[in-house]
Amino acid sequence: MTRLQTFWGSFRMSLLHFFADPQWIIPNIIAPFIFTAVALVLFRNVSGSVALYAVLGGGMMGMWGNTLYGSGFALAFDRWNGTIEYVLATPSRLVWIIAGRSASNAVLGLINALAILAVVTVGYGVLLEVANPILFLVALILTLVSLSALGVVFCSAFLLSRSASVMTNGLEFPIYVASGSMFPIALLPFWSHPLSLSLGPTWGIDAMRYATDSAYTGLGFGYWIDLSAVLVSTIVYLAIGFWLFMVAEKKVRDDATLVEY
Amino acid sequence: MTARSDKAITVSELRRRYQTSKGILRKKKETVEAVKGISFDVEFGELFGLVGPNGAGKTTTIKMLTTLLTPTSGTARVLGFDIARDVVEIRRRIGIIFGGERGLYYRVSGRENLRYFADLYGVPLAKRDKRINELLDMVGLSDRADSKVESYSRGMKQRLHIAKGLVNDPELIFMDEPTIGLDPQAARDTRAMIKQLVEKEKTVLLTTHYMFEADELCHRIGVISNGEIVALDTPSGLKRFVKDISVIEVEAFGIVDSDIASLRQRPEVKTVSSNLDGERQTVRIQTPKGSEFIPQVTKILSGAKIFDIRTKEPTLEDAYLRLVS
Repeated sequence: MTRLQTFWGSFRMSLLHFFADPQWIIPNIIAPFIFTAVALVLFRNVSGSVALYAVLGGGMMGMWGNTLYGSGFALAFDRWNGTIEYVLATPSRLVWIIAGRSASNAVLGLINALAILAVVTVGYGVLLEVANPILFLVALILTLVSLSALGVVFCSAFLLSRSASVMTNGLEFPIYVASGSMFPIALLPFWSHPLSLSLGPTWGIDAMRYATDSAYTGLGFGYWIDLSAVLVSTIVYLAIGFWLFMVAEKKVRDDATLVEY
Repeated sequence: MTARSDKAITVSELRRRYQTSKGILRKKKETVEAVKGISFDVEFGELFGLVGPNGAGKTTTIKMLTTLLTPTSGTARVLGFDIARDVVEIRRRIGIIFGGERGLYYRVSGRENLRYFADLYGVPLAKRDKRINELLDMVGLSDRADSKVESYSRGMKQRLHIAKGLVNDPELIFMDEPTIGLDPQAARDTRAMIKQLVEKEKTVLLTTHYMFEADELCHRIGVISNGEIVALDTPSGLKRFVKDISVIEVEAFGIVDSDIASLRQRPEVKTVSSNLDGERQTVRIQTPKGSEFIPQVTKILSGAKIFDIRTKEPTLEDAYLRLVS
């Protein structure tokens, strides 16, 4: 119960802060809007579902951007507010606090997908047809969980670092590109494929495309293999995240670097 | 898990070293010993004060006892639990109230701040909202509970800090300079709340820079200087350190550093302290000579305009100055 309470309390607090800051419109509406507009122009002469790459790419951009910045700034934010010592001094494990915040940020990323859907439908007159809505929803939820788990892994590094903003800026675009959110990973050089395939969101977005378009071939493994890969990678991320947090929490207590920024 | 003890806090030879570095390209590491093997006990229901100058080791001691820092060596038990090993058990049972503007989420309401920390402390959902309402009532914030914290005055923020520190109904409360930066009325309200906590049989470990505050509130006081406890006694016991002296207090304008240095050089003078309040300076001179030393003081300060000069009984602040100087 306590872990769930910590998770839910952190999820809720993160949402409250998100909506308390009017600047949320910039990364969540304006940036994905621009990305989608660019994607629609790029794909206009390509056969197949134009909207598929635009909506899922833009949506993924929003979800990953939110998760990354959310987890990156979750602790920087506490350092700025002077709340980090109070948070650390509670009996709750930091990893559950960050998991709640990361999950909230990933869910908020859905706003982007909805905004983009509205843009392509109303602005460009392109209709997105989902072949199997249930499979799509399952893949979407698992991808959100996977993104949150990835956020937890990165956040443990941010606990030790005073430069979370530099790290988040550096990690934003490589993940969009490597996960195939922007364009198929087949277009990327071969040496980058192991990185792409180690990312849960790569498999998640592939599964979502299978569920959307019955003619989609993608990575070639099929929906259920994709989904299993998302699940396995998520478990691995969570295991790494838990271990890193244990190490990081001990290190900040030993080195007295908690409040430095 | 239970681990009862007959003392609320037992500290034995506690030590903490920090690694610091100098330079940017050629970093040179240095070790600073902030706490040098201190030992003391705190009884249940006691209000124990830890006083000392900046950098003396008070905050480092509190951070070790609240499990935010691991000690380099030595041991300490809080409510019977070991600070290095039983981290979660200690955190469940203690409250932390630090002074200063920071430490709250400004963009959400006071109630939301309390609710979040109640969740992190695992306060049962059935009790949570009732407890929050009781705390808001206790600190006099019920009518502003749903306003954003950024709209609170400094005193209101400190009252919210106190409510936050009590959200898990702790047995033992650590307060690090809770009245720092508060106006006199807000500081008085905070002190009244601290007294209420002790009346409710809570144990409090308080650090403060204000000696009158320590004198008013604390049952016993540990004076910490340069990482070591140099005295530990009741306020009246500490005052006995200066029972052999009188204090000459001078209120003046235009006293310069060389005047203070001249006073300090006199063999009859134990310590000299100087405070500036606006343009008015207050200088306190500890001397065993009492009023018979006043003519010499007047002579040394002849370049300044003296408004008042008188002898006073030594206070806890005089004892403190004697101990840390």
